[in-house]
Amino acid sequence: MTLTNKPALRLPRNILLAVATLLLGFLLVVYVAYAFNLISFPFDYDQGEGFELIDTIMFSHGQFPFRDSNVYPFYASNYPPLYHVIAAPFVPLFGTAFWYGRLLGFLSSLIAAGGIGYAVYRAGRHCWIAGLAGLAFLASNTIYHIGPLFRQHMMMVMFEVLAVILLAGVNEVVDKTRRRWIMLLGVLLLLAAGYTKQLAAFTVIAVFAWLFIRQPRRAAVWGIGFGLAAAGIFVWLNLATDGEWWRNVIAANINRYNLDQTLGLYRLWFNLHGLLIVPAALFVVYELYFDRLSIYSIWFVVAIGVGAASGQWGAGDSYFATAIAAMCILSGIFAARTLRGEWTFPANYLSRALIFPLRRFAPVVLAAGALIIPTIYLLYALAVFHMPTDGPLFGDLARAINLRPNTDYAFYDSAGRIAGGYADIGHFTTQADVDAGWRIVEEVRNAQGEVMSEDAGFSLMAGRQPVGNPTQLLNLWMNDLLDSSALIDMIDERAFGLIIFRGQLYPVEVLQAIAANYERYEIIEMNGFEYMLLRPKP
Amino acid sequence: MLSNNFTFSKRLLGFLFVLLGAVGFVAILLIDVFDIGREGGIGPSQRIALAAMLLLLFLGLTLIPLGKHPA
Repeated sequence: MTLTNKPALRLPRNILLAVATLLLGFLLVVYVAYAFNLISFPFDYDQGEGFELIDTIMFSHGQFPFRDSNVYPFYASNYPPLYHVIAAPFVPLFGTAFWYGRLLGFLSSLIAAGGIGYAVYRAGRHCWIAGLAGLAFLASNTIYHIGPLFRQHMMMVMFEVLAVILLAGVNEVVDKTRRRWIMLLGVLLLLAAGYTKQLAAFTVIAVFAWLFIRQPRRAAVWGIGFGLAAAGIFVWLNLATDGEWWRNVIAANINRYNLDQTLGLYRLWFNLHGLLIVPAALFVVYELYFDRLSIYSIWFVVAIGVGAASGQWGAGDSYFATAIAAMCILSGIFAARTLRGEWTFPANYLSRALIFPLRRFAPVVLAAGALIIPTIYLLYALAVFHMPTDGPLFGDLARAINLRPNTDYAFYDSAGRIAGGYADIGHFTTQADVDAGWRIVEEVRNAQGEVMSEDAGFSLMAGRQPVGNPTQLLNLWMNDLLDSSALIDMIDERAFGLIIFRGQLYPVEVLQAIAANYERYEIIEMNGFEYMLLRPKP
Repeated sequence: MLSNNFTFSKRLLGFLFVLLGAVGFVAILLIDVFDIGREGGIGPSQRIALAAMLLLLFLGLTLIPLGKHPA
């Protein structure tokens, strides 16, 4: 019997674990409710979802969305294709809709959470902690609000998690054939992650850095193979799109940088997840000095570095999603090892100076650990707490615990939504939002001439040709890759019967042309966002 | 290094960290030397990157005494 499993400790430990499980389980209920709320919502929720739907529709028709934005319909995508390709078969089956893309994102987050739990169980052999690690991932404010969106980020994280977990033990596989199959599958998952979203390149770097440390030869051989496959797909896409792949996905994605936003998001990330970041970081230090470096440790460090890019225009807290996944695995292994009392310190200059003199306190430390570990998960659940403050179940509960909304919506979010770049979403949609969406669709249907909207969903639901992708037009414009004269000519000619703003994200010269030729005639609120409807000036 | 049995030791990893930290530190400083048109000297992003390179260098130095233990 380990010290942490003594009857005197077992009861309080299990009570604390049960409370932590209850709290994290409740956050899972909130997440599932949010996911179903969004899946049943027929319009854009997060800005840009509609454009991901356009990409999916184009792929379902065998077309690339990497196009020349200088000509009508001024549309191009800046994301790699895999997520949209996976969603594309839903289009002929179910038509134009947001639900399948959101369902894919939601399922990806569940698979990633399951993978995290499995990784913790495999390394720590503690079922309860493995479950808590998976729940901790889904409870994160960042994972919560981006999980069920029609966006590729969560699918990228899922592929990353699966690749890392699969490759974690590859060097210990004795059977050569089996090892090669594992390597092949792991590398294919990395390739899938990279062609789901470019950000996965950093996970690729982490994985090959780890492979290089463990066995440089294997890293070199597989690295060359991976590089050739990735480059082959890249060149094919570029040739097939006449260079638009490079222009839209790579060149246009170099955006202006705001260091304050980066620092704010790092601070927020630590404030929300610090209780699990600290044990994860301690485990990295432990492996660095007293054990072999695992793939998880290197992945975690590199993923934290990815956060440095979160200050780019268009980036945000989602850039920490990979680090959160790695954090949940490492902190879970740390927790399991503490509860099982399985820490070992080989003799070296550090253990002789720092650890061995304190050996006599080990029983006390381990006994304290039996209570501290569940307390950490409990406090983590409180740190990331979020829930709606209105509606049948959640409203009653919020009133019972005197929880008031701290956002512009009927929603409490422990993140406070004060850091720039933190997505202002997570609240539930209502029937009033659905009604408002259909009102806008009706305006689109009745408009004379073309319609240009910053959310594509309205045009898609009205059966109209969506025109322009505002954020991509801005990306291209900021990198001197856009000639907006044809679009401005159409605006000057008042060819658009209706223009819909949500965030006025178009390039400045386009906004100026709109201001000169169009006037606002109505504002319709949907999901708390104000949709400004403009018509040609008389 | 390219044999099937080779793996990094803590010491070798330490040397690699020292090398990367030192080269990275100098490279970050040289940004201002080669990018003559820039104003304001060493900016906040550069300072953070320089600190990261120093940390890497320090970690490398602490790993070197760990000898042949596999990294």
